[in-house]
Amino acid sequence: MDAIRTENLTRSFDGRKAVDRLTLEVPRGIVFGFLGPNGSGKTTTIRLLLGLLDADEGRAEVLGFDTRAKADEVRKRSGALLEFNGLYERLSAADNLDYYGRIWHMSKAERDSRIKQLLTPLELYDRRTEPIGRWSRGMKQKLAVARTLMHQPELVFLDEPTAGLDPVASAALREDLERLAMQEGVSIFLTTHNLAEAEKLCAQVGVISRGQLLAVGSPEELRSRTSAPRLYITGRFAPQTLEQMKSNPLIQKIEQHNSRLVLDLNDMQRSHEIVTQLVQSGAQIDEVRKEKADLEDVFLNLVDEDKRGEA
Amino acid sequence: MIADIFTVAWKELREMLVQGDPRGRSRLSLLLLVVIFGVVIPLQNGRDWTDSPISVIIWGWMPFLWVSGIVADSFAGERERHTLESLLATRLSDRAILMGKFLAALLYGCVLTWIILLVSLITVNVTSSGGGLLLFPLPLAAGAVIFSILISGLAASIGVLVSLRAGSVRQAQQLMSIGMLVLFLPFMFLQFIPVELRRSMVNFLSNTDPIQIAILAAVGLIILDGILTVIGMSLFQRSKLILD
Repeated sequence: MDAIRTENLTRSFDGRKAVDRLTLEVPRGIVFGFLGPNGSGKTTTIRLLLGLLDADEGRAEVLGFDTRAKADEVRKRSGALLEFNGLYERLSAADNLDYYGRIWHMSKAERDSRIKQLLTPLELYDRRTEPIGRWSRGMKQKLAVARTLMHQPELVFLDEPTAGLDPVASAALREDLERLAMQEGVSIFLTTHNLAEAEKLCAQVGVISRGQLLAVGSPEELRSRTSAPRLYITGRFAPQTLEQMKSNPLIQKIEQHNSRLVLDLNDMQRSHEIVTQLVQSGAQIDEVRKEKADLEDVFLNLVDEDKRGEA
Repeated sequence: MIADIFTVAWKELREMLVQGDPRGRSRLSLLLLVVIFGVVIPLQNGRDWTDSPISVIIWGWMPFLWVSGIVADSFAGERERHTLESLLATRLSDRAILMGKFLAALLYGCVLTWIILLVSLITVNVTSSGGGLLLFPLPLAAGAVIFSILISGLAASIGVLVSLRAGSVRQAQQLMSIGMLVLFLPFMFLQFIPVELRRSMVNFLSNTDPIQIAILAAVGLIILDGILTVIGMSLFQRSKLILD
């Protein structure tokens, strides 16, 4: 049974489709990244999956329960860190977790031990009695992640968990998420527009734009499906070099960023021919690096294509 | 369901009273209430305090004011501080959330009233007892307990309703103040009632057993509390709250 299964899930607001015929299957036990630009329908999708909003059309099943008829069963088995962390700033960290433990009918002993288990690796246990109002955003976000895991849910929804954090805090939270996902063995549905985050954490990703699912698969699959192999060449190039290279049939696209050329190739096996051509044209090459396009390129391409299609 | 209601009430009361107010303002204001109504006013009334009409007003209307002061925060505060959606995404039922918030406000009003009642008794017994034990007459004590529950319940149900619909805590507080004015309006209009009618009302009241009047008032309040709670439940819709 999949963790999430949707069929033509659609929801509109004032005639505008926020989620448009979304059909998706998310297997259990993986971190699934739901990527999309702002306003693409990610948060609405989570709200629909949690049964907080009703779909106009289509249906969704989460952990085998219909989100319309059995929303309470879905929420009973899930944890959610939504757009805002939802923490009570006048309460201490321990009380915030304790409240959610009580909501899920955990005994006092279970709550205490779980609070210790979750907060210790996040280095928050020693500060558990402090009201969290003056904590940094990163600390609060870590606490919010711990709160979603408090009752050991089968599925966790994380809506842009690192949004608004500085790079150091983001990286720290990503590490914590990765460790917690492994340790807890939960399925995670993570929305983000941080592609490095998705690449690092997610076994599968889906790309959504204007409410429509554009692509779904592992980051590797998406890269190979939607982008050409790429060659990064650093060095000094004569002005006419770029023009000469453009006529080479091996090259799909060429861009120059200061001293770096980025070339999308049709055939990576013949990349040596490109290097030879460059050397013959008088280029002084410092470094050549072969790589497939990263997830960011894939994402940007997909969203661009979607926008062009719409235009 | 009952456990869930108590869980929500536990959080509400903990937020109100125990933590998060670094300067202890909420606790200080509570202490001030206890001092004014439990010490200062009973001291002024001396031995008469236990059967003074002022005490009836205090036990009858003060719970409404106390509860109004805090209940506006119940939903509007959660919405303003962005904690509402996370709460709605939990396993708690709509009723448990609504009733938990109602219960917290009700308990706040009742317990505060009872504490003040007790402190005021201690005050008059320490300062003006003249040797004997001063106690409230039984009907007054019973009325204080029952009406503190019903009046707190009325304020809690109005407050929860207002807080559900208000965009911010400030707006909820303003609406609550208007609500209080509306409740007092009938008393303000008494002077415009024709003299004959007023006289016959006074006659009726003075010829009727006060206990009967109290029972009638209590039944009226129970019905009103019930109606307001049912309206609150019908207005509480997760999807609407999310989109608001």
